[in-house]
Amino acid sequence: MKTDIEEINRNIYDIKNKDEYDFKIKKGLTKEIIEEISKQKNDPEWMREIRLKALETYNKLELPTWGPDLSELNMDDIATYVRPKTKMTDNWDDVPDDIKNTFDRLGIPEAEKRSLAGVGAQYDSEVVYHSMKKELLEQGVIYTDMESAVRDYPEIVKEHFMKCVPMSNHKFVALHAAVWSGGSFVYVPKGVKVEIPLQSYFRLNSPESGQFEHTLIIVEEGASLHFIEGCSAPKYNKVNLHAGCVELYVKDNAYLRYSTIENWSKNMMNLNTKRAIVGKNAQIDWVSGSFGSHISMLYPMSVLNGEGAKTEYTGISFAGKNQNLDTGFKVIHNAPNTSSVVNSKSISKNGGICTYRALTKINENAKGSKCSVSCESLMLDDISRSDTIPVNDIRNDDIEFSHEAKIGKISDKTIFYLMSRGISEEDAKAMIVRGFAYPISKELPVEYAVEMNNLINLELEGSIG
Amino acid sequence: MIVNRTPIRTSVNYGINEVDIQDLKIHSKVVEFNNLTILGDSSKFDIYTNDDNNQVNRKDLVYGNGKELEEEVYEKANQNIKIGVNNSGTLNLEFELDDENKCLIDNINIISNSKKQATIVIKYGSDDAQEYYHNGIIRVDAKENSRINIIVINLLNEKTNNFLSIENILGQDAIVNYTIVDFGGKSSISNYYSNLIGQRSKANINTIYLGNTEQLFDLNYIAELRGEKTDVNIEVQGALKDFAKKNFKGTIDFKKGSKKSTGNENEYCMLLSDKAKSKALPMLLCTEEDVEGNHSSAAGKVDKKSLFYIMSRGISYRDAMKLIVKAKFNKILETIKDENLKDEILKEIDTKLD
Repeated sequence: MKTDIEEINRNIYDIKNKDEYDFKIKKGLTKEIIEEISKQKNDPEWMREIRLKALETYNKLELPTWGPDLSELNMDDIATYVRPKTKMTDNWDDVPDDIKNTFDRLGIPEAEKRSLAGVGAQYDSEVVYHSMKKELLEQGVIYTDMESAVRDYPEIVKEHFMKCVPMSNHKFVALHAAVWSGGSFVYVPKGVKVEIPLQSYFRLNSPESGQFEHTLIIVEEGASLHFIEGCSAPKYNKVNLHAGCVELYVKDNAYLRYSTIENWSKNMMNLNTKRAIVGKNAQIDWVSGSFGSHISMLYPMSVLNGEGAKTEYTGISFAGKNQNLDTGFKVIHNAPNTSSVVNSKSISKNGGICTYRALTKINENAKGSKCSVSCESLMLDDISRSDTIPVNDIRNDDIEFSHEAKIGKISDKTIFYLMSRGISEEDAKAMIVRGFAYPISKELPVEYAVEMNNLINLELEGSIG
Repeated sequence: MIVNRTPIRTSVNYGINEVDIQDLKIHSKVVEFNNLTILGDSSKFDIYTNDDNNQVNRKDLVYGNGKELEEEVYEKANQNIKIGVNNSGTLNLEFELDDENKCLIDNINIISNSKKQATIVIKYGSDDAQEYYHNGIIRVDAKENSRINIIVINLLNEKTNNFLSIENILGQDAIVNYTIVDFGGKSSISNYYSNLIGQRSKANINTIYLGNTEQLFDLNYIAELRGEKTDVNIEVQGALKDFAKKNFKGTIDFKKGSKKSTGNENEYCMLLSDKAKSKALPMLLCTEEDVEGNHSSAAGKVDKKSLFYIMSRGISYRDAMKLIVKAKFNKILETIKDENLKDEILKEIDTKLD
């Protein structure tokens, strides 16, 4: 007896535009290619140097000896820089029709009108639209694309770029530093509370290419921000690569909420790196939904450097056919009285693989710290796979730490109970799966509920037999 | 030497995929070991020792501590023991290392015939005088409907390296219970693997470890569930004092076909010093839908309230601490029926916590 739970309906994401571009760099990765990207992007000298150094680091580093098999990825087949045929604008009417239609279909301009304080939209390697409410501008909030930030705020960028995540961290972050393009820069000045979320949306249209956007967010002392990131791409038969990098600086007493809905197409290698450095009594909350991509290796990390710093991670991943989603959360308690709460859920079906891979490290100096981790995995059939691989590294005695994980199927008892109340079996199962995902979906901003609903459109079809 | 690899690797930076033991050399020449005492109902067992070379099991271990150490056992073992369980009974093997018996390399092979029940206690001890060496393999082949209790006690001194690989294969309805008391050794590296092939077979592991000074414990427990309705329970309780370090790696792997199986893993580490280090990697791997797997892992210091309560009754801090540790270990110690042995373990807890 099996109830079929449909996979995500991807129609709106899979509409491809013709692969039209203003400039597409040759495939592969050489010094000449990096120089060319740097030239095309009018980099200042210091940025050109970072890129070249990163290439050297990339060549030195080995592929990871753990995690999903990445042998399908051949960098010689990937174009690292694709410039769309448009310039950045702050007026949707100036965005070329095909690109604008893409974002229209994804509901971005509509959401901007209704409930966002600012929007950035990236198409292939460049940001095509960026705008922010005037009031925020007046309060000194900066929200712009990374290239403008490098040009207009070089000192801030120089101080923070690839400092939170060192480029030697792993091979794909070095690759990112060498070929990065696009992304968002947010600066929230001391004490400014940004009440309405900012959102950046990343869309990769061009086949056999990579997207390497860089997101740099600095929330100054006592300030607060909610930032939303969305990503999608249409499906091609060839491998695409996403190796973005997110660097977040949450200064003393500041608050940042970073929400991600990732719905890359099923040919995407999503090898993304995200990290936050959190100051005294500051807090970073991560909300993360992973639905798309062929292979994901994504482990957001909070480094709790200030006394009393806090972090929360709420994540869900849903792996269907031909998907291997290797995700998790890393936290380093590096100061007294820090705390972390982790809540992770995963659903595997149709041969999909979900892995929760994590690190909790409580250092010698993190006296009085607390950490609680909970992860649950739901298996919807017996051809899928679900693994939990958490590392807990505890280095002082004055702490409270607990970790628990569960793996299983939908409980027959619960279904029986609901059915005894007159609910049909399909409805009962649907209810249970929605209930399973609820702790995550309730954390998402309302505007995103629409997209979330599209994503875990867990309509149960009556194929019981 | 790199030993005790986990079945699945994770990020190299976490430093838990394997353990590196410095200055470890494979013995080129091993002299006889003559300090083994066999007690209990030995008449109920078929016991073959060193003399009969044909009885030595050289079949490759699925996991184990590493090829080099495994080869050392096959090539150099100075205690080859094969035990056939034909009647229900209890057997004690006590290995005592001393000045005349400095190196123990043992290969113990236990075959439990169907419907038999037995308890086998294997104790490794030593005097405190100098550095010794222990490397061993314990294998259990539990045929259908048999029930085997194995109690492994490691009370070696803190200068000695201790390596132990355990491998069990479980037939239909077989039950294999382990109680492991892991107190001794400079480094105590243990690998446990159970292959639950038979339907309704059951493997339980109850371990207590207690580390002080600069001891290192590396515990790598793996259970693969293959038969339907199989059941695995891993319970690990421990305490770390001074600069002691512990890595616990526990893997419950639900293989295809293990329908209606359950697996539980519970690990708790009491930290008795702010220099002690506890690492844990409790893995759940699953390729079967209709199973239930749980794990929990926790760490923390001794509960202040309990400590206060006991001390308010006029008991010193140190004694209160000992009481709390013993209380935590009690559930697992209760599986040891031999009172003398239990007393010896309780005494060792007192000594280590002094």
